[in-house]
Order: sequence, then structure tokens, then C-alpha cells
Amino acid sequence: MSSTSTTISQSATSRPGPEKKHRNAQEILPPPLRIAVTAILAIFILIPIAYMILLSVTPDTEVGGEQLIPSHWAFDNYINMWTTVNLFQGLQNSLVVSGIASIIAVILAVAAAYVITRFTFRGRLTFLYSLIGLQTIPGVMLLLPLFVVFVSIQSALQIQLVGTYTAVIITYLTFALPFAIWLMVSYLGSIPIDLEEAALVDGATRIQALWRVIVPLALPGIVVAIVFSFLTGWNDVLFASVLTSPTTRTLAVQLQVFSAAQEGGALPLYGQLMGAAVVSALPVVILYMIFQRYLIGGLTAGGVKG
Amino acid sequence: MSTEPIPEVMSKVVARPHIRHRWRVMFHQRPLWLMWPSMFLLIVIIGIPFLIAFYISFLNLTQYTLRSWLHAPWAGLTNYITALTAGNVVGTSALASLGVSISFSVLTTLLITPIGVLAALTVNTQYRGRTIIRALYLVPYVIPTFVTALVWRMMFLNRTGLVDRFLAALHLANVNMYWLLGPNSFWAMVITDTWASWAFIYIMVLAGLQSISHDLYEAADMDGANAWQKFIHVVLPQLRHILGLSLLLSTLNHFNNFTLPFVMFGTPPPVQADVLPLNVYVSSFQLFNFGLGGAMSIITLIIMLIPGFLYIRTLRLGEVKV
Repeated sequence: MSSTSTTISQSATSRPGPEKKHRNAQEILPPPLRIAVTAILAIFILIPIAYMILLSVTPDTEVGGEQLIPSHWAFDNYINMWTTVNLFQGLQNSLVVSGIASIIAVILAVAAAYVITRFTFRGRLTFLYSLIGLQTIPGVMLLLPLFVVFVSIQSALQIQLVGTYTAVIITYLTFALPFAIWLMVSYLGSIPIDLEEAALVDGATRIQALWRVIVPLALPGIVVAIVFSFLTGWNDVLFASVLTSPTTRTLAVQLQVFSAAQEGGALPLYGQLMGAAVVSALPVVILYMIFQRYLIGGLTAGGVKG
Repeated sequence: MSTEPIPEVMSKVVARPHIRHRWRVMFHQRPLWLMWPSMFLLIVIIGIPFLIAFYISFLNLTQYTLRSWLHAPWAGLTNYITALTAGNVVGTSALASLGVSISFSVLTTLLITPIGVLAALTVNTQYRGRTIIRALYLVPYVIPTFVTALVWRMMFLNRTGLVDRFLAALHLANVNMYWLLGPNSFWAMVITDTWASWAFIYIMVLAGLQSISHDLYEAADMDGANAWQKFIHVVLPQLRHILGLSLLLSTLNHFNNFTLPFVMFGTPPPVQADVLPLNVYVSSFQLFNFGLGGAMSIITLIIMLIPGFLYIRTLRLGEVKV
């Protein structure tokens, strides 16, 4: 950065100061345009969200009415919705299923990624690339065959799978695996191997070295992998609708039941439905906000949405 | 131990010949068992079902023959012919659905690309409150798809939905647009998915923008380039690869999107919104013609592979950090 370039860009933009110059070089949208675009985008983003929140406090009798703004705030929607369908159980099921699936998926992914980054073996790259292939298979294509597989295992081992937590957890954790493995491969690959060697020379076993040295260093990556694996389960409707029973239904399915139940009914409970929608979206949005900084890198690395 | 050639992209991650040698000395056995659980699950839960799906597409499999599906009558290519010509009882053939799916995924991708690029440009420079804007941009993307679909179903409710109220208030359209029933359902789906997914392009482009060297901008400044010239001649060429990858992934994601139309329209959906995944679902689980559904899903997969192959051939996978 020579002084000439400083003066040129200063005169070009007529804004003095080194940081300002630093900024302006990258600037494509002039500030007024930038503010206008941001404002339009913000309105576009917020209108449906605001509408969801507005409807969630609108009395059910007024949702289809002429007035957009309700005559009174029906906060009791948020109380009644828990008993209209068993929403609490759905919430609990979603948390248990997605939580357990994401933790197991990440443990398996770390183990697999450790082997992939530290050792060579036949078919290693084939394995890595086939993971990408697996992710492009449409879910709806696997639904029936997967059901058939579970039923076959059931009759072979004389155990109940379909309708239990186990089947759903196994399904979600496997669907989360390809992305989690890729993510962990890129994280573990950037951890210098010398650190482990030091531990091994000091007499640690390989598993101890993995647990004490690698895992703490890869923690940011592990967090990203857990969050994305969690969302695989939380966001799924398709598999949960077939593999769960009324007692193990996840929140997503419970919400489907909620909206389907109204189609034949006299009065649609749209207010409560939107309240339930707010409750379904909130944990995810909060999760993203907390881990935002890590997650953006993870999103770009995988380019997938669960 | 194999000595397969390692592409450039992997070199950072896997190629460490000297270390590998040292490790081979330290351990006579590699703990390959650590990846067996992953491989086992991937094979049982994805691999085998995938092969079964392929097999089913050649069978005459209905709810009556499902219980002993291995002995279901062989149908040859009948399912494929039916899928492409007659379609299911609801009246949409796979070919018609394919048209809907392609127009939906291509149109949505074309709509979200300029929005995503513009959004990334608004947060590429430092200013107060940028963190909040960045967080805000991600909100529609992180809301679960089933919630998005439910909310937009309310938005598009005939007469009393926000969209109809708004358009009628501005005298732009009739208050009865029937967004969720007829030909307009396609547009309802496009608008909803645009809202939900533009942040994908935004995230990818933002990552691309941050990897552009500062010197390039300064060189452009020194040459007296204005903002538009900088965008066309500096930013866009640098974003070429990541944009290509994003467009491909976005098209595939939209093509595969089952939840959004399923929750928005229910089953059977309006003909104009009957995308392939939904058609597969209706054929398999509502009409119980599993063979037909299988054939349709194989057609879906083949169609999805085409852009992928074209992309890999033109760009070489090795050049893009996946």
C-alpha cells in the first residue's frame, strides 16, 4: 500500500482516514443503495414471521375474518395448543430423537474421520466421494425400501423397530453421517499430527490420544456437526410420518396431525397452529443464533441443508 | 497398503507420505475398525434400500404383494412406461411432474441468485449493526421447512390471507386468487421457496467474497474502476466457481424438496404443483402402486445426475472445495 494509492482512493471517494479507505475498496454497493437493499430484504424476511406471530395471538374465530388486527390478543392460544394435540410429547420426542441421533452420528463421524485423515487404506477416497453420492439420493425414494428393511430386521431378530425411537434414531443418524464425516475430515485434517505423536510417545493409547488431544482441538467442528445432525432429525417430516407411532411422533409430524385434524372440523384452529409453529421454529433459530459464527463456515463447507 | 493417486483437493487432508511412513512404523495395525460402524449403517440404511428401490421399480408391487415383496410379479419396464405416459390416478404423469419440477427448481434458483448476491454485497463491508443484519438474513433459511410451509399456507389463504388482502388493497388482483388450488399454486410454491432458500446463495457468495484478495479491489481502485465495473470485472470472475457450485446444489436441493409442497398443499396436490417427489409419494403411499413410485424415483435420480455429471466434467471436482 503506497501513499499514492492512499491519496488516489481518498480523492476518488473523498473520505479520509486509513480504515475508511480500507473499507471503500471492497465497497460495491454505495451506502444509500446498501441501506435500501437491506431494508427491502428485511421487510421481505420479517413480514411472514410477523404474520405468523400475529396469527398466533389471534382468536381462532377471527383468523378468517375481515379484520387483520384481532379485537383482542388471544395469548391463551399458547396454552390451549398443548392440549389440542399432544404437542408436548411431540416436542419431547423430537428432542430425544434428534439429540441422541446427533450425538451418536458425531461420535461415529469423528472415529471415521480419524481413520480417514490418519491412515491410508484401499478405497479411502472412493468412500469419501461416495458420501457425496449418497446425499443426492432423494429421500422419498428410500422411504419404502427402508421400511421394508426395518420390517425384515424385525422378523429376523424378533424385535420391534417400526414405531420405536430406535428406528427413527438410526435413520436420522445415518442420514446425518455423510455430512458429519466430511466436516470432521476437514477439521481433523487441519490438526497437526505431531501433537498426537507427542501423546503417543508419552505412553497414551491411540484412543486416549484421540480423546484427549484431537477431540478438544476439533471442538468447534464437533459443535457444527452436532447442530447440523440435530437439524436433520428436527426438520424431517417424511421419514417420521412413516416410522413413528402415535406415541413416538416428532414435533413435525404432530404439527401435520394438527393441521390435518382441522380440515374436517368445524372451526380451523389456525391461531393455535401458528403458536405451535412458533414453538417449533424457536429452538432452531436460537440454536443458530448461539452458534452462528461456527455454523456459517459449516454451511459453506457442506452446501447442504438437512 | 494402496498407493492410489490423490487429487489436489485432498492433498491438504490426506497426503502426508512421510508421516504415513512414521505411523506405519509406530503401529503395525491401523485401527480401521473405527469406521466400521459408519460404513455398516450407511450400507444398511442407505445402500441396501437404494438397491431395493431399484429392484422394486421393475416389480408389479402393490399393497397386496408387499408382504412377500421378493415374490412379487416381475413387470419389466411396464412401470417406467406407465410413469412416463399414463401417470397415477390423480392424473399427473411423471413426465408432467418432471416439467413442474424442472421449472420449479430452475426458476427458484434463478430468482434466489440475484437476491443472494445482493444480500452478500450488503454485508461485505464493515459497518455498525452488520452482525445483526447477518443474523437476520439467516432466519428464513434456518426456520424448519415444515414451519415455513405452514406459515406461507396461511399467507396464501384465499381472501383472508395476507397476500390476497394486500393485492386486493392495492387493486392489483382479485381478492380470490386461490393460491393453494389452481394454476397459481405453482407460483405460491416458487415464492415460498424463494423466501426460504435465498440465504443459501447468500452464504456461499459471502464465503466467496471473503476469499477475494484485497489487492484486487485496490488495483481496480487505482485503475479508476467504478463500483459496477468492479463488480463485473473483479468480483464476478472470482465468484465463478462458487456460484457454479451453489447454482448446482441449489437446483438439486429444490428438485429434491418434498417437505415444502407436501405441507403447503397436502396430498394430492394441485396438478400445477405436483413435483416429482410428491408424485412418487402419492403413487407409492396413497395409491399403493409401489412399483410405479419406484420407477418415478429412479427417473428422478437419473435426471438429478445429469447436471451433476455435466458440472463435474466442466469444472473437475478437484478444483472446487466441496
